[in-house]
Amino acid sequence: MSLVVDVLSGGVSGGTSIMYAGVGETVSERAGVINLGTEGSMLVGALGAYAAGVETGNPWIGVLAGATAGGALALVHGYLVVRRGASQFASGLSLLFLALGLTSLFGAPYVGQPVVGFDTWEVPLLSDLPVLGPVLFQHDPLLYLGYLVVPLVWVVLFKTRVGLLGRTAGERADSLTVHGYSVHAIRIGAVTAGGVLAGMGGAHLATAYANAWFENMVAGRGFIAVALVIFATWSPWRVLGGAYLFGCAIALGPALQARAFEINQFLLDAVPFVLTLAVLTILGKRTLSASPAELKRVFENAPPSG
Amino acid sequence: MTAVVADPEAEQTPAPLLSRALPVVMRWVGTLAVALVVFSVLLLLKGASPVTAYTGIWESTFLRSRSLQEIVVQMTPLVLGALAVAVPARAGLTNVGGEGQIIMGGVGACGAFLFVGETAAPGLLLVAMLVSAMVAGAVWAGIAAAMRLVAGVNEAISTLLLNFVALDVLLFLIYQPWRESPVGQPATVELVDAAKLPFVAATRINVGIVLALVLAVVVYLALSRTRWGYKISVAGGNAEAARRAGLNVRLLVLSALMIGGALAGIAGMIQFAGVEYKLRPSFGYQLGYTSFLACWLARHQPFPILVAAFVFAALSVSGDSLQLDAGVPAASIHVLTAFILIAVLGFTASRRKAAA
Repeated sequence: MSLVVDVLSGGVSGGTSIMYAGVGETVSERAGVINLGTEGSMLVGALGAYAAGVETGNPWIGVLAGATAGGALALVHGYLVVRRGASQFASGLSLLFLALGLTSLFGAPYVGQPVVGFDTWEVPLLSDLPVLGPVLFQHDPLLYLGYLVVPLVWVVLFKTRVGLLGRTAGERADSLTVHGYSVHAIRIGAVTAGGVLAGMGGAHLATAYANAWFENMVAGRGFIAVALVIFATWSPWRVLGGAYLFGCAIALGPALQARAFEINQFLLDAVPFVLTLAVLTILGKRTLSASPAELKRVFENAPPSG
Repeated sequence: MTAVVADPEAEQTPAPLLSRALPVVMRWVGTLAVALVVFSVLLLLKGASPVTAYTGIWESTFLRSRSLQEIVVQMTPLVLGALAVAVPARAGLTNVGGEGQIIMGGVGACGAFLFVGETAAPGLLLVAMLVSAMVAGAVWAGIAAAMRLVAGVNEAISTLLLNFVALDVLLFLIYQPWRESPVGQPATVELVDAAKLPFVAATRINVGIVLALVLAVVVYLALSRTRWGYKISVAGGNAEAARRAGLNVRLLVLSALMIGGALAGIAGMIQFAGVEYKLRPSFGYQLGYTSFLACWLARHQPFPILVAAFVFAALSVSGDSLQLDAGVPAASIHVLTAFILIAVLGFTASRRKAAA
């Protein structure tokens, strides 16, 4: 029983950074831009949050700094692919390298520095619930904020005018042009918003989950987020579920090892990726038809419209 | 994708070559200069002198024989990794899976070494390792090709995901079944001398570079002078037209991606048997992504890939001098690499191409 609680609770706390980044990537891809630089946005977000946290002693200022840094990096990606017609894959990977370099250059003084991170804050009453309490309500405030992000992004994407414009930029960019909107501006906005969320994911990683900064600390979580968006077929709700599922797969190994089970961690680490590949294969062409039309053009190497 | 399908400028009159080339050259020089200036500003912010840094990089990277040899050693897997992107790109496919295919190449080579054993004849051992690495890389890319053909899964997504599965396979093997000893660093047993690639003459450069150069020529010829090369470029340009013309598009997709995977597998074998001699958790780290970017820098053309791979290898080697001379972490060189890439990706294509 306690094993189940441990794994689920670990899945929620470990999955949160992936969830933030995945929701951000959903926004970006819904507008027709895939951002492999999500990993980079998480990295600069993590360092930004950590550095600001160390300097000011206030983790919320850290989150703000991380979100800004993540958004700024994504803005460069948006500019390059939307305005300059750069390859989306190549540009995203270039920005990953930029983030690796920048965080190594400016992060060295912060390695091993103590930070005032987020403390666990048990939600009154709810945290006393059996199972659900420890799994969902005995965490840090930034994680609780994550519970609100998915509904919020869903409402904005599907119930507001801004969301409609963003989704149209990903589905039928021409019709935006016809109605006098700037597809470029909308796409760049969506990519930047995605980077802001990825930066917050990085902030959670550095100032709530690990409470440490070290080089390349994101360690592939940004790529997991990109995989997750496809796994979730571009639905924010399924991104939420998938992030915690992937988080659980990662948490299962250490939890089993702590109970002296002989288990090779790396087989479990591969689960999220194998699962995504399996889902893609089983859903087959339906996944691709569920994808935003403009994104499909990116995958098929067709020139984007708009 | 215009550059891949056809080069319309090549068919125009070639007369004013210099006047056409000059603005292009100036654009390149200009963007690269901006990249260097921005990096200088960052170094100044960190309190390091850019002049010291750049002269340090220049002197210890290009004026020392050992550094030059190191550049050649490091560019070898990048050349092959970039060719592994270029061949599928000709067929309209995006192979982001070099990272995983290189790892599987190393795993394949190591598996062959462990299976054939150190008692085999030296030449036979190396051939077995090479073949096994090619097969492993090709199979890894073949999974993505099969998923595309059977279920319509886009290869850019599947090759990217397979990178992480490959890394987990590598870690699984070196943490348990192939681990040299249960204590100490997780790694496989070191290759015996007969299984190591020999050096070129009296240098520290392994013969892998010769293979890489030969394969660059072979890929160039295969893409531009053979029926197969022509067919995959037709399939890459317009799959429907190719199908109507009676081409077996499925076979072309499969072959282009698997040949790419085999090339990446060779890169992994050379990195393993020519440089590392052991599989460690960091084996092949970022070689695939760097190769992908090198291929883009070279606009998917085999001979420019040699230049791009040299540039990236030189940058990587100069990262070490940066650490010694300017006192900033070696990984900081990624900033300069990224600036160069951003400059080239965003600002060297003509406006018309960028709008396409």
